[in-house]
Amino acid sequence: MSRRASLLLLCIVVISIVIQVALIPVFVRPSFKPDLLLVIMVFITLRGSLQVGAPIAWLLGLLDDVCSGLYLGLNAATFLISFIVIRSVSDRLYADSAMLFVLTVAGVTLAEFTLNLLLMVMFTSSPGLAYSMFSDIFPRLLVNAFIASVVSLFPGFDCQLETS
Amino acid sequence: MEFLKKYLYPIVIGIAIIAALLVFSLNVPRSREANLVERSVLGALSPLLRPVSWAGGFAEDVWDSYIRLVDTRRENLRLREDIRSLNQRLREGNETFLANQRLERLLDMKKSVKAPTISATVIGEDVTSWFRTLVINRGSADGIREGMAVVSADGVVGQTVKVTASTSRVLLLTDHASGISATIQRSRARGVVKGKSEMLCTLEFATREEDVKVGDTVITSGIGGLFMKGLPIGEVTMVKRGEYGIFQSVSIRPAVNLPHLEEVLVVQRGGYE
Repeated sequence: MSRRASLLLLCIVVISIVIQVALIPVFVRPSFKPDLLLVIMVFITLRGSLQVGAPIAWLLGLLDDVCSGLYLGLNAATFLISFIVIRSVSDRLYADSAMLFVLTVAGVTLAEFTLNLLLMVMFTSSPGLAYSMFSDIFPRLLVNAFIASVVSLFPGFDCQLETS
Repeated sequence: MEFLKKYLYPIVIGIAIIAALLVFSLNVPRSREANLVERSVLGALSPLLRPVSWAGGFAEDVWDSYIRLVDTRRENLRLREDIRSLNQRLREGNETFLANQRLERLLDMKKSVKAPTISATVIGEDVTSWFRTLVINRGSADGIREGMAVVSADGVVGQTVKVTASTSRVLLLTDHASGISATIQRSRARGVVKGKSEMLCTLEFATREEDVKVGDTVITSGIGGLFMKGLPIGEVTMVKRGEYGIFQSVSIRPAVNLPHLEEVLVVQRGGYE
């Protein structure tokens, strides 16, 4: 990944975190909060290589954990697992497609939900959490897909992260 | 004849004056009625007066509406700017007034808490909807440690977790991982308040025999040492007792309006080392 792309990615991540922590909660109901870092992760998954993308996906998940809940490493694990699964099939897909991007974001949102729920049930004591997560998953899915569709309209959406 | 020639002019003048005075004196009793002369003159002039009057009015309009209003646009802009500025000041004044009210109530709470406290402002919220946490602008540099109670003017907010030098994360009482030892104020029935969702908690471990009613105030019991005794937690909104089972199901609405929380107090007591 070039230095310019790295810097751009860093700026986008920082801006996304600030927006998600300080701005979105003021205007949006909790159920409709988008996960901007997840959208960035999916973008990197479809455009970056395994060597570069995997640590970035893990770090993005870790950042998500820092800004959310109690369990550091929860989203990091789910992001990494999602990255590896998508990466393993992305070579056979038309990764530049905006539709694929939106569908992948929706799929990863579901995968994140499932993995998070599984990990929390196995490793933490949070009775009743499953009910809250189930009640939130549909709006979360829609909002993330919407954000992905908006991102796909940005100029430079079809650019590659790494140049060979 | 010589006499007339000599005094003709003064005589004519005199007669004219007398005639004028006579006309005047004859018209005095009917001064409010138009006589023949007046009617004739006004009648003859009226066709001329109307267009001239209209032209005069038009000229006045032009003068007033255009020539005298050259500076009006500038004045209008200035006045609009004034209105904007005054509205801004009004908004700021209202905001200051509301902040003052909130802080006054917070100060009352501060006085009622028998422990050192530090005020903090909410600067962020949890990025996901699955967890209920807040970020405040005070950290270990201000003497905050993990496990300290966080309260607001209305009651219990939660406890500090993940403290950094300048910020702390507050685990809200509505989070699923939160548990606060509580008492029903009226009947002294005990239980543990657990988070359930965005704006709801439940009172766990309250046995079926305990006297709990809708509308009861739930307060902290002081057991556990994290929260001091008597801080308001919320109000009972639903009580359900099944036919079987040891415990009853009690829903609680938090006393604090958590989605709109702006200022909190961190009780600097206890906490984990």
